[in-house]
Amino acid sequence: MFVQDLRNDFYRQLVGKRILIVVNYDIDAICASRILQALFKYDHMLYTVVPIMGVTGLKRAYGEHQGDVKYVVLMNCGGCVDIVELLQPAEDVTFFICDSHRPLDVCNIYSDRQVCILGDASLEENIPAFETIFYDSDGEDEEEEEDESSDPEQQHNDSGAGESDQEDEAPKSRKLSRLERHEQRILKQRARRQWESERDRIMFEYTQFSYYGRSAALMVFELAWKLSKDNMDLLWWAIVGITEQLLLGKIESGSYTLELEQIQSHVSRLTNKTNDQNTMSASKITFENDLHLVLYRHWPVTESMRYSRYSSCQLKLWTLRGEKRLHELLLEMGLPLVHARQTYGAMDLVLRKEFFSMVERLAEKYDIADIVYGTFTLSYGYRSRYAAADYVYALLAIMESVKKHKTPEDCFLEASDALSRQHKQLLSAGIDQAKLLHAAVFRQVQSSLEARQVHSAGSFFYYVLQEEHAFFSYPYALGLLARFLLRGHVATSRARQAPDLPLIASCPLDAAEGMCLLVGIVPVREDSPRNFFGKAFEQAAQKSGVALLQDFFEPAVVQLRQSDLTRFLDSLTVLLT
Amino acid sequence: MSRQTKLFGEKAFDLLKELERSSQTIPAFDDDGVRQVLEEIKAIFEENVAQASTYNTSGDRSLWPLLNFRHAALQRNKRCLLAYLYERCKRIKALRWEFGPIIPGDIKQALCEPEVTFFNNYSKSLAAYMCSAGYNQGLPIDLTNNLRPPKSLYIEVRCMEDYGKFELDDGEVIHLKKNSQHYLPRAQVESLVRQGILTHIA
Repeated sequence: MFVQDLRNDFYRQLVGKRILIVVNYDIDAICASRILQALFKYDHMLYTVVPIMGVTGLKRAYGEHQGDVKYVVLMNCGGCVDIVELLQPAEDVTFFICDSHRPLDVCNIYSDRQVCILGDASLEENIPAFETIFYDSDGEDEEEEEDESSDPEQQHNDSGAGESDQEDEAPKSRKLSRLERHEQRILKQRARRQWESERDRIMFEYTQFSYYGRSAALMVFELAWKLSKDNMDLLWWAIVGITEQLLLGKIESGSYTLELEQIQSHVSRLTNKTNDQNTMSASKITFENDLHLVLYRHWPVTESMRYSRYSSCQLKLWTLRGEKRLHELLLEMGLPLVHARQTYGAMDLVLRKEFFSMVERLAEKYDIADIVYGTFTLSYGYRSRYAAADYVYALLAIMESVKKHKTPEDCFLEASDALSRQHKQLLSAGIDQAKLLHAAVFRQVQSSLEARQVHSAGSFFYYVLQEEHAFFSYPYALGLLARFLLRGHVATSRARQAPDLPLIASCPLDAAEGMCLLVGIVPVREDSPRNFFGKAFEQAAQKSGVALLQDFFEPAVVQLRQSDLTRFLDSLTVLLT
Repeated sequence: MSRQTKLFGEKAFDLLKELERSSQTIPAFDDDGVRQVLEEIKAIFEENVAQASTYNTSGDRSLWPLLNFRHAALQRNKRCLLAYLYERCKRIKALRWEFGPIIPGDIKQALCEPEVTFFNNYSKSLAAYMCSAGYNQGLPIDLTNNLRPPKSLYIEVRCMEDYGKFELDDGEVIHLKKNSQHYLPRAQVESLVRQGILTHIA
């Protein structure tokens, strides 16, 4: 069931109740849950926040709190699985799902009370109609039992027999011969089979691609706005949420631009509302065109250019010639190497002010036109100035900085803390971590491309990391690596169809257990985030008989045994050709 | 004489400076320092008495300013000592509010005998006051509960270890598990926060 009026049908329902908020491990979910927590705090509602990773985590978390809570809010999780079947909740428990993963599970959509999906049904694409996928099995049984009487009657009704003389007709129809009745049954069975195959086709079409809907953070922010409880902090979190979608390729650039316009109006409204003129304490969000360079405000320009996916791949910066081209670009920009090699913050003020326009001017010439995009920056006090992308990269790095003494939950909470303005040191630590991560990605890409480790399987590329890696054993980092690698490979490859092929990257997860992580990403030329790997992985696993662990809420991220990998890839190759 | 290079009152001043500068809640009682100051006072007093008696007999006023000066020094020493004791008493009172009626062992070592007695007496009178302050007799109010007025009735806490189920006054059962975050009534979880099971997040 879709809940469109969030204020009345979602928030008002919850006021005064105790709520369990289950949050998935992604930045959008963290942002959304922070906004929701702020709202709950205003209304003094008791809540409990539990971070979870994957379906088993969801099950465990619900199991622990079962019986204590009647209202559960799921953030960016649970939309794509049948919640009622998975969790077996008691009758009086209500689930509210705020999930940007698509396609949503049809059982959740057609649940009449227990599962409410926040969002607008009209925005959802091609949801199968109820009657095409659900067969009224209760009616079916009755029909079977009363085959003798009711069935022929129905037949008559359908054929337009008068209602009034039904009683006269009924005895007549009883006289249908055995043969006719048998025929009817066969016809019915055939119709049923037809309907089933039709249903399977529809369901396949519906679930074939996994993609993403609106950012959860943005949705919750709009709720806050409608409740007139929005402020700068909440808006910033929403912006971080949607920027995550952009940077991880979960949103089409077209719809991103549309959302930008809406956010801009929120920004100007809130800026006018807050009359805090003191520059020291006021936080200010500004919209501006920015560059797709990772963390360039906190890094030397040369490093940032080299480690950013887009600029690096367009200029092929991992090669010697690319390096020369970078110097050429810097020369033409008029940026002295001395300045380009020191941290951006320490660069000459004049150069810093002109940096954006310098890059923009030469973008066309160096074939990096798409480096400019619209985004928001947050300035707080005199020194801290962060782009939304800086936040996203830092949080990603924090979330995956799992170490021996630091569990994933710790990382999650740290990331959630880093969002608030009071914890600036956490954020700057995260930025440093992100730098390490990006440098590692770049080095890995460089060595892999030089050693030609990206192989083609005809309809897709694959890349297998042989040993466990401190960074890439985590889904997001592996995703970043895979995306960079695919772009880099396409940039160097001569094959004409290369931009149309997707990539599968794999990295060992845990040497002791012999599991490995598998990530499938969309082709370079594809702008939309539609990813068919989720379904393809599932089918390939079925065909090859490999045990696949699709535990993550991202369907294109799976785990399997290291030893099964070759078999799995073979069957995937067969499936996709 | 080398002793004469020292000024009057320096010891006493040092005592105070030491107290002021120490980073501990309450430094150990400086027995030695106090005794030295007392000795100094005694010496000054004896000298003054001797000279005052010669003045009485001879009426020689030439020593008059010196006498006055010594007296002022003596007074100053006395003031310093009192200030020292008073400041310590103030800190001991603060201890009672912070740590409750029992002094932690490491702090107890820093106190001298009369100070411990003072603490006990203070604690007793505070307890007596709290008993009498209860609106309906028999129910004492714990005044040490909220030293600062709480900003809100609820606080956001994070669970540091697996605690299990925790029931609130209104019957809600909260499952406190490591790394979960909760928003709960302050009064009821305060004790858990003190025990370190929950931490308050700002």
